[in-house]
Amino acid sequence: MLLAKTLRSSTFKLALIWIGIFGALVLALLTYVYWSTASYVHGRADRAIAEERTILRKVYDRTARDGLIAAIKDRIADERSEGDIYLLADPSFAPVAGNLKVWPSTLKGSNGWGSFRAREWKPDAADRPLLRATFDTLPDGDHLLVGKEIDDLDEFAQKIKTALLFGVALMFVLAGAASVSVTRRTVGRIEAINATSQGIMQSGLGKRILLRGTRDEWDQLAENLNSMLDRIEALMAEVKQVTDNVAHDLRTPLTRVRARLEKAYNHQRDSNYDQSLIGNTIADVDAVLRMFSSLTRISQIEAGDRTSAFRTVNLAEIASEVVELFDAAAEDKRAHLNAVVDQRVLVTGDRDLLFDAVANLVDNAIKYGREAGRVTVEVSQDDGVAVMSVIDDGPGIPDNECKQVFKRFYRLERSRRTPGNGLGLSLVAAVARIHGAHIELMDNRPGLKCTLRFPLPTRSGFENRNGLT
Amino acid sequence: MLARRRRILVIEDDLETAEQLVDFLSTSGYQVDLACDGNDGLSRASSADYTVMTIDRMLPDIDGLAVIRHLREGGIVTPALIISALGEIDDRVRGLRAGGDDYLVKPFAYAELLARVEALARRSATVVKDTVLRVGDLELDLVSRTVSRRGREIELLPREFQVLEYLVRNEGQVVPRAMLLQHIWDLHFDPTTNIIDVYVGRVRRKVDGQQAYPLIHTVRGVGFCIRAPR
Repeated sequence: MLLAKTLRSSTFKLALIWIGIFGALVLALLTYVYWSTASYVHGRADRAIAEERTILRKVYDRTARDGLIAAIKDRIADERSEGDIYLLADPSFAPVAGNLKVWPSTLKGSNGWGSFRAREWKPDAADRPLLRATFDTLPDGDHLLVGKEIDDLDEFAQKIKTALLFGVALMFVLAGAASVSVTRRTVGRIEAINATSQGIMQSGLGKRILLRGTRDEWDQLAENLNSMLDRIEALMAEVKQVTDNVAHDLRTPLTRVRARLEKAYNHQRDSNYDQSLIGNTIADVDAVLRMFSSLTRISQIEAGDRTSAFRTVNLAEIASEVVELFDAAAEDKRAHLNAVVDQRVLVTGDRDLLFDAVANLVDNAIKYGREAGRVTVEVSQDDGVAVMSVIDDGPGIPDNECKQVFKRFYRLERSRRTPGNGLGLSLVAAVARIHGAHIELMDNRPGLKCTLRFPLPTRSGFENRNGLT
Repeated sequence: MLARRRRILVIEDDLETAEQLVDFLSTSGYQVDLACDGNDGLSRASSADYTVMTIDRMLPDIDGLAVIRHLREGGIVTPALIISALGEIDDRVRGLRAGGDDYLVKPFAYAELLARVEALARRSATVVKDTVLRVGDLELDLVSRTVSRRGREIELLPREFQVLEYLVRNEGQVVPRAMLLQHIWDLHFDPTTNIIDVYVGRVRRKVDGQQAYPLIHTVRGVGFCIRAPR
């Protein structure tokens, strides 16, 4: 099973391809080594033979045929010249002097080089040794042959060849074995991950991939996958939480609507009573619809497909308009609402969304701020960022709840009784996120300061959009 | 009411919704024609002269936006109100870009539908260039940008004047909150807060405070209406 998987694995196939390529290269290299060694060895022998021939020619030139015959006999008698061949033959190739009994049939001609095996040479040897010789025709028509036994040279070249071939074969075997074992290891680890993934698909997100503690790349992969699973599990829990909250927030108004309708159903028709009942019911249904449109709005913003419609807008102008719009609401709470804004603070974004986000912050500041308090909206450009703050002097948000308030449906304990659905700050956070803005809640002692820092628009418009998240 | 009954074309595939629309628009004084799919709608809109039409965004055969595009390409300029369950601004922008004139998201209040249809119908009628608008004893001078009731001047901020002017121009009609937000503030979303009510509330205090009778009325769940008592 594992072996079959190993052989099918792409790692193994890749290894085979590389073994093939390297093998071909090594083979070419070793062939060259063999060839150059052999030709070097043979070249040396040829040079020695040629030298000997030159000497004998000089002897012939000086002392003529008789001198040459004497020199050949001397050489044959000399023990150091073992393995050397000499043969002087008359014009019809009949031997005159020398240690070769017959002129080799393959070397007939006026002059040249050749290799041959002669039966007469060392008749006691197991097989006929290989001889190398040069031959020439002397001015008086005689033929002179000078040579050497090169059997041992040939044997040396053969040994090198065998050694090289053996080396190549060994390399192929080892490389093959190595790639099988590496691939097996890889396939084994991947199999473990696959098995865990299948387990997760079948029985839920509880499983994790086992680490081997080797801190290698496989452990790192497993660790990353495990933390990804942790994140997914956390998100699932969040989704469940949101679903539960939606169910709860839906059930409350729907229960009221149902009870009211039931009561009306059993009641005598009375136009005044019916009128107010229907009015209240519409208001409840509207609240439910508003909650849904807020939810879809947030998820649409988070999907982020609106960034293509982003334009350069003046944040200062938007903030001033929000302040103007909320002036009446502030007046109702006898709060003092004012804007401290620079002339032009340009950001790249969507006017509707930015307006809605600032409006939500101002609305919160007025609603949850102090009665007859002070709410200030500040917009300025500072150090390469556009900064927008909404500041109130109300009770603020406890430190430990600062992160939570951006979650959907999260409501502070003390504000549960006031109207609202806990989606306002989620919307602000979503708007901030697609604008690449950084959001921060600070204690204003007393009160709350909520700050959004937007990247300034770059010349080309969008490049910097996600720069500051 | 105009002498000729205004004709409206409703293109809607859901039978129950279509029936309710026809019912409601008929009782509001329109002569209603119904088309149940895009092709039917296309041929009806091309062959007869309608004051307004409403188009469902998702039809079984052709996309609502494609219907409008075809009509506009064919030179038919009948104002179109797109009704969609998709909602949200992106979709709205796409609808308006395709040649739709207004956009309404399901589910909607019928009062809002009527307000938007009426606004579109008025668009095709001739606009009288008055310099002074009157509702009951309220007078708006569009040149000097002043407001008075029974000769007594009322102080309004420029934006408040715009709100009042918009209500007065739609006298007797319900003006939905989203329409106010769209026309006065150029914002294209339904506010998640009750801010428009608070804002109009202040305009009402200024206009109706200590007067013989109120002019600005709140229509629950929809918006506002300005009218003189009969």
